[in-house]
Amino acid sequence: MAGWSEKVLDIDLSTQTCRTYPLDMEIARLFIGGRGLGARLLWDMVGPEVDPLSPENVLIFTNGPLTGTGYQTSNRFSVTTKSPLTGTILDANSGGFWGMQFKKAGYDVMIVRGKAEKPVWIEIRNGEISFHDASELWGMRVFALTAKLGHNNNKRNVLCIGPAGENLSRIASIMNDRERALARGGPGAVMGSKNLKAVVVEGKDRPAIDDPERFKFLLYETRKLLAASPLTSQALPEFGTVVLMNIMNNIGALATRNHQQTQFEGADAISGEELTEKYLVKNASCWACPIGCTRVSKTGKGESEGPEFESTWAFGAQCGIDDLPAIIEANTLCNDLGIDTISVGSTIACAMELSEKGYMDSDLRFGRADQLAPVIEAMAYRRDVGADLADGSLRLATKYGHPELSMTAKGLEFPAYDPRGMQGQGLLYATSNRGGCHMRGNMVGPEVLGLPKMIDRFQVQGKSSFVILHQNVSAAIDSLVLCKFTNMGVADEYFARVLSTVTGIQYDTGEMTRVGERVWNLEKLYNLREGFSRKDDTLPPRLLNEAPVDGPSQGWVVQLEPMLKEYYRGRGWDENGVPRPKKLEELQLADLLVRN
Amino acid sequence: MPTVKLYANLRKLAGTKELSITGGTVGAVVNELVRQNPPVGEIIVEHGELRRHIIVTLNGQNITDLGTPVTEQDTLAIFPPIAGGEGEAHGWLV
Repeated sequence: MAGWSEKVLDIDLSTQTCRTYPLDMEIARLFIGGRGLGARLLWDMVGPEVDPLSPENVLIFTNGPLTGTGYQTSNRFSVTTKSPLTGTILDANSGGFWGMQFKKAGYDVMIVRGKAEKPVWIEIRNGEISFHDASELWGMRVFALTAKLGHNNNKRNVLCIGPAGENLSRIASIMNDRERALARGGPGAVMGSKNLKAVVVEGKDRPAIDDPERFKFLLYETRKLLAASPLTSQALPEFGTVVLMNIMNNIGALATRNHQQTQFEGADAISGEELTEKYLVKNASCWACPIGCTRVSKTGKGESEGPEFESTWAFGAQCGIDDLPAIIEANTLCNDLGIDTISVGSTIACAMELSEKGYMDSDLRFGRADQLAPVIEAMAYRRDVGADLADGSLRLATKYGHPELSMTAKGLEFPAYDPRGMQGQGLLYATSNRGGCHMRGNMVGPEVLGLPKMIDRFQVQGKSSFVILHQNVSAAIDSLVLCKFTNMGVADEYFARVLSTVTGIQYDTGEMTRVGERVWNLEKLYNLREGFSRKDDTLPPRLLNEAPVDGPSQGWVVQLEPMLKEYYRGRGWDENGVPRPKKLEELQLADLLVRN
Repeated sequence: MPTVKLYANLRKLAGTKELSITGGTVGAVVNELVRQNPPVGEIIVEHGELRRHIIVTLNGQNITDLGTPVTEQDTLAIFPPIAGGEGEAHGWLV
């Protein structure tokens, strides 16, 4: 069938063997690829008895039927696993080139099981899978390793972990193409626990397309749509994602100093405008992407990709730091060590608050740019104070007796948006299946940017319907897998046309949204099976009880309870957040529970 | 006079980050800004109305009614279209 390769590569590191078998195409039709397909496969493979860092956990790398076709932003891929940070289902997706290359190697899925006796790296080349001794590579940082393994953007692509993954930091990322990350929730630690240092792939076959002529037209039309959008044609290329810094600060929804404030006096100094004027060298882009939002920045220490908005915020406002060169260098260091910038920045901020309040004996203080690089190094190697910070803010704050100072949901550190100034974002964070995350249905569109239309960001009643819609659409896009920025210029309805054209299976708009809803519900079922319940769909007390004392969000806390009730009803779940049998029937998920 | 803060490419076009502009309502301030800075006007106004997806805040609160009164102490912020498109796209940012 066009679009999919219909092949699964299943690797057992314990025996260093692999096998290839057909992808179940009924599953592919229902879950498409990427996040959805990964969730469906994980459901069967990893149950509640499995420790995320044990050999029994798996890494499931998936692409989608659009990956590698050349459709705009069809470069992305996912990894799905049980998170060592949160214990929830986890998927993280990344752009760059590796996903396209993996698709061209002829696979939809790569499952990695077991644990190698000693460090190995895997090479996929000319249809052959080979295992190589990685003993001499163990300890290498990401940039040097990527170069050593022969990375070449369009021919040979490297995915690897850095020291943070080797040292099983629960916030370690998997890196690809040098500076792209499967960042959140600690997939790098799972890879490290398996003694797998890298996967290098070379592919040669473009995926088949069911209707090539119509596909050409859709490419042309999408190019026009992206060019017509001021965001994808101007704002993102010119200022990158950091353009959001000043807006979020202006409306009083920029989390500052571990969410103690909602505005940062140094926001302009770390803004997209400042980055572009003083440090931008050039733009870069992922494979088949006409947007080119990637920044290549330069400080006294050299050139590197980034930083994105969330990373700039995490080391900036969240740590009370307005030194942009130090922030750029912290971002680069995290990429080289293979560790998630958002969780690192927010965990440092948590440590700064714990220390300033005398709960923790360290010299970490808000505003100290000079402390960033040393503490990041210490985290990746579990040295000194870094040993306490290496597993994220919740474990840190719990150790020092103040878990309430961890700005997380289900243990995953929040991104930049303070939900006291965006009520819908608060509901999104609380209900996100992988924990506090904006990439599961970001509400910045309707609540801040007026897209598709402006809704009152403080409004509570009726907000859940927007959140549900955004979550479902987000899950569908993550299952295609496309970059969500495409959706800035191209309506999500359009993606159903593209998918139908590539695969030959007729998907309409309703079916795409239904796929997203199916994926969301399956992830929820997974978390329920792991023991998560209504009490976990919550936020830290600070966001529920402590209103900002000044600024545009003054006096507001997140009104979670009424939104949550409305949300559960809207999702067809019971009052405890458990999907009702009728909903599962409707989504063709009911038989999973029967077989389980 | 109310303070007007400009962002993204509006800064380059106006040659400044911040101005003081007279006007008793948001609309009056915007009109005066456009009169003084035609290049800024091209970006934010079309057929005498604010372009879709221009974001205007008054002391950090989104403004949709250009008749909203402003005082000497108020701060208006104007962001160029950083979101939008042909379709009714949803808008995701990281």
